[in-house]
Amino acid sequence: MSYQTLQVAREGDIGWLVFDRPEVGNAMDATMLAELERAWQELDADPQVRVIVNTGNGGSFQTGLDVRQLSRDRAALREQSRRTRDFTLRFTSWQLGCLTPVIAAVNGVCAGGGLHFVADADIVIASRDASFLDPHTSIGQVVAYEAITLMRKVPAERVLRMSLVGRHERMSAEEAYRVGLVSQVVDPRRLRAEARALGQRIARNPPAALAATKAALWQAFETPRPAARGDAR
Amino acid sequence: MSSYEHLKVERHGAVGWIINNRPDQLNAMNARMRDEFADAWTELDADPRVRVIVHTGEGRAFQTGVDVTEVASDGLGMQRYQDSVASFDLHFTSWHQKVLKPVITAVNGICAGGGLHWVADADIVIAASDAQFFDPHVSVGQVVAIEAIGLLRKMPAEAVMRMALVGRWERMPAQRALELGMISQIVDPPERLREEAQALAEKIARNSPAAMRATKLALWESFEMGLTDACRAGAQQLISLWGHPDQEEGPRAFAEKREPRWQELGPDPD
Repeated sequence: MSYQTLQVAREGDIGWLVFDRPEVGNAMDATMLAELERAWQELDADPQVRVIVNTGNGGSFQTGLDVRQLSRDRAALREQSRRTRDFTLRFTSWQLGCLTPVIAAVNGVCAGGGLHFVADADIVIASRDASFLDPHTSIGQVVAYEAITLMRKVPAERVLRMSLVGRHERMSAEEAYRVGLVSQVVDPRRLRAEARALGQRIARNPPAALAATKAALWQAFETPRPAARGDAR
Repeated sequence: MSSYEHLKVERHGAVGWIINNRPDQLNAMNARMRDEFADAWTELDADPRVRVIVHTGEGRAFQTGVDVTEVASDGLGMQRYQDSVASFDLHFTSWHQKVLKPVITAVNGICAGGGLHWVADADIVIAASDAQFFDPHVSVGQVVAIEAIGLLRKMPAEAVMRMALVGRWERMPAQRALELGMISQIVDPPERLREEAQALAEKIARNSPAAMRATKLALWESFEMGLTDACRAGAQQLISLWGHPDQEEGPRAFAEKREPRWQELGPDPD
């Protein structure tokens, strides 16, 4: 299958899903939103792909919706607004129910809606020059989904601060490591190599155990603790 | 008092100790050890002289999960084990046994796979500087669920997920566990671990047993609920001590610059 806004590739056990609109910070236009749905599903369904690595081309990882493009495409904007309102978004691995392990390899700026891909990945590593910010409130937008998930994953104060300070502050890769948002910070030139090496370590584990573990752990965010524990089998 | 083969159960002042004692098997848990855990937690929790419980291990590992060799070679043990997991009817941690006294896990050396149960279920975790954490379950075709789910409530999730999915191919050193809040103290040199655990336990033992029991209930129950419900339930724990003698003794002892004389704990409130 061919893609205009993504690079989708296989390399051994690893499926690569690379944002490829570097001239606009990899922002998601209507085409990319549709292609993301297709790409996650295609890689998740491919038995040869044991781990998916998600990264970006250029100086940004992902900067959220391309509002400028979407405002020219009224039908796409309406559809995206409807999906946002109904919480039926379909552009991240979690939204689409992927059971293949997903590594986000943050190669640069990760802003606003880009945080969806950090929140929804299983494992996140970052280039030393990556940065994280959420400018939504600075342009009069509400932050909800990305931050709600992140609040389950890292200490809440840091998420609230990012949501409320908006564009006026950035979290460095180093700080993201300290708070546990990412587990590894690497030299920018080594990011893909390190993501590949990590992916290969995971790919040595059997897929069925990985998928069931991933399902059990993500399900645990949904339910109170005893019910979550009772799911274990 | 029960006799133990695979655990050492000791008392040092107000501190009860449970020490994993199968060092040749890296303290992996066989069927007998599993039963002994259930007894040991209950025994120390019921002993009014014990105010705090410390859990650690002999040898170079803290704990490495289920003794798969033993369980696999003993059809009956395997069946029992599988049944207990299937029905989530487990009895080997303080949380499973509803222990209401403060529990400190002191991680000596390797803590792997099922060993993480006691990290997840303890109130406080400290570790020797040479401690290492990893979860090899998926690398041997097993699912990780219960212990990782417990950890997900207590520490940044990405690290838990990474440990669960990378399996045996990577270990988390004590320093990173400290940074992430999985543990609150590193003891260096490692030989001083038990001494530091005893010292920490003795500090905790100076607090009101009744207040600590209600606090522990309120905080662990909060994991089960949404925020507002948890605060409502916590309020019940809070007011449960109003009028308790410890609430007068505490301020009085402080004013008189002496150690408080706390009430001994009665039976569990439930």
